[in-house]
Amino acid sequence: MKRSTFYSMLIGLILGLILCTAPLLLAAAKVGEPAPAFTATASDGKTYKLADYRGKYVVLEWHNNGCPYVGKQYNSGNMQKLQKQWTSQGVAWFTVLSSAPGKQGFVTASDENAYLAKMQAAPTAALLDPSGEIGHMYDAKTSPQMVVINPQGVVIYDGAIDDKPTTDLADVPGATNYVSLALEQAMAGKPVATPATRPYGCSVKYSDSSH
Amino acid sequence: MSWHKPPAIFPWALVLSAAALALCARHAEAAGAPIPHGTLELVAEKQWIAAGHPFNVALQFELEKGWHVYWVNPGDSGEPPRVTWDLPAGITAGDIEWPVPRRLGTASIVDYGYEDAVMLIVPMSAEANLAAQGPVQIAAEVKVLVCREMCIPGKAQVSLTLPVKPQTSPLNAKSADLFAAARKALPRAAPANWKFGLSETTDSFVLTGKLGRRIRYAIFFPLDESQVSNAGPQTLVPTASGFSLTLRKSDQLLKPIARLKGVLVLSGERAYSIDMPVGKPVAASTKGAG
Repeated sequence: MKRSTFYSMLIGLILGLILCTAPLLLAAAKVGEPAPAFTATASDGKTYKLADYRGKYVVLEWHNNGCPYVGKQYNSGNMQKLQKQWTSQGVAWFTVLSSAPGKQGFVTASDENAYLAKMQAAPTAALLDPSGEIGHMYDAKTSPQMVVINPQGVVIYDGAIDDKPTTDLADVPGATNYVSLALEQAMAGKPVATPATRPYGCSVKYSDSSH
Repeated sequence: MSWHKPPAIFPWALVLSAAALALCARHAEAAGAPIPHGTLELVAEKQWIAAGHPFNVALQFELEKGWHVYWVNPGDSGEPPRVTWDLPAGITAGDIEWPVPRRLGTASIVDYGYEDAVMLIVPMSAEANLAAQGPVQIAAEVKVLVCREMCIPGKAQVSLTLPVKPQTSPLNAKSADLFAAARKALPRAAPANWKFGLSETTDSFVLTGKLGRRIRYAIFFPLDESQVSNAGPQTLVPTASGFSLTLRKSDQLLKPIARLKGVLVLSGERAYSIDMPVGKPVAASTKGAG
């Protein structure tokens, strides 16, 4: 074997190893750590960059319109109420759609715009993430998983929307909403008492999902 | 358009409706209450309730192929069945005896549950003064999430009427085999001569076992949510007398826990209940690995 062939094989092997482990090295979002940067196209046709929202609180809401846990929040009007309440206080609220094409919850931009109008939803924007890139970046497991990012760009909450992991509309009024709690505590300069919870709901329907 | 020549799809429609009818008939025979993509039935192990003696009933889930319901810890998504009992005075329900679950899902989202069918045994106690009463009704409202690709919540009312007698009851011939099979699927207590240890590092729990033989296969199912990462790696190191199993902590675990509970599955489908106090953090030791 020629020496140059050997070296090119070695370099190939090393590159291959680096490339195949790279996705594992990309740490998912963790409470207390910087929120992974992303750029996404929304159903309104505009492009949104997380970096542009430095200085503001940001909420990420994983969404799947066929998931009964999401239905509980929207059919009760609770999610829309939260969106209006917090965006009116300067919070940027992004609904994230990570269902892959052909999977439950996958929508085109016009499908999503019709849904937002019908439900009278009021997020800042609904981000289209059919490749699941943003979802995997944040290790989003379920809809409706919720993430809160502070003005410094640090994740301060990651988990469930509230403390009632059911599909019952009747459970909405008595629930403790973790997103509101995190925003209220952080805005008052207090530490977030419950910064991470199990994000109950339906699994995010990524392209590799089988359930 | 000609009416005498049915479209080619017609024979298939016949076959499919026959299949659908056969399915209906099977479900009708099971006499269960409908739940999404399946049925639920409440069954008793014995013919009557013996006053003053414990007895068993079970929730029998029959699902269409590929659909699943969840374990007490559903894992990353989903929700376990929730039961609200409606019982006469003098009868008390115990906790569900959960069979060993299966890992469901993908590489990044791992759930724990049961595909196709599962029987959940519930022990009951009956007070001695029940003897004076007539037959009693055991009833339950069950809320259940049934999933396959997508999830559908359901609710069913199930009930069972049983006589009460002073003497002990023979087994119910129709359900005795089902109860026996369901019991085989329960985790058992580990033999008394097995020794387990549990320590922790910043990001992992390390479960060690001395079982008197080399263990080459072990999977741990955490009983409580948000303690062990469901999709995280479980790294098994066989040792001469057992094993060491490293479990990644859940990102949701922000406070120390006193005990770790779960089910340890070894090769041959043998499963054991584990309930261990978390030991003081220790430096990685090679003492057991020889």
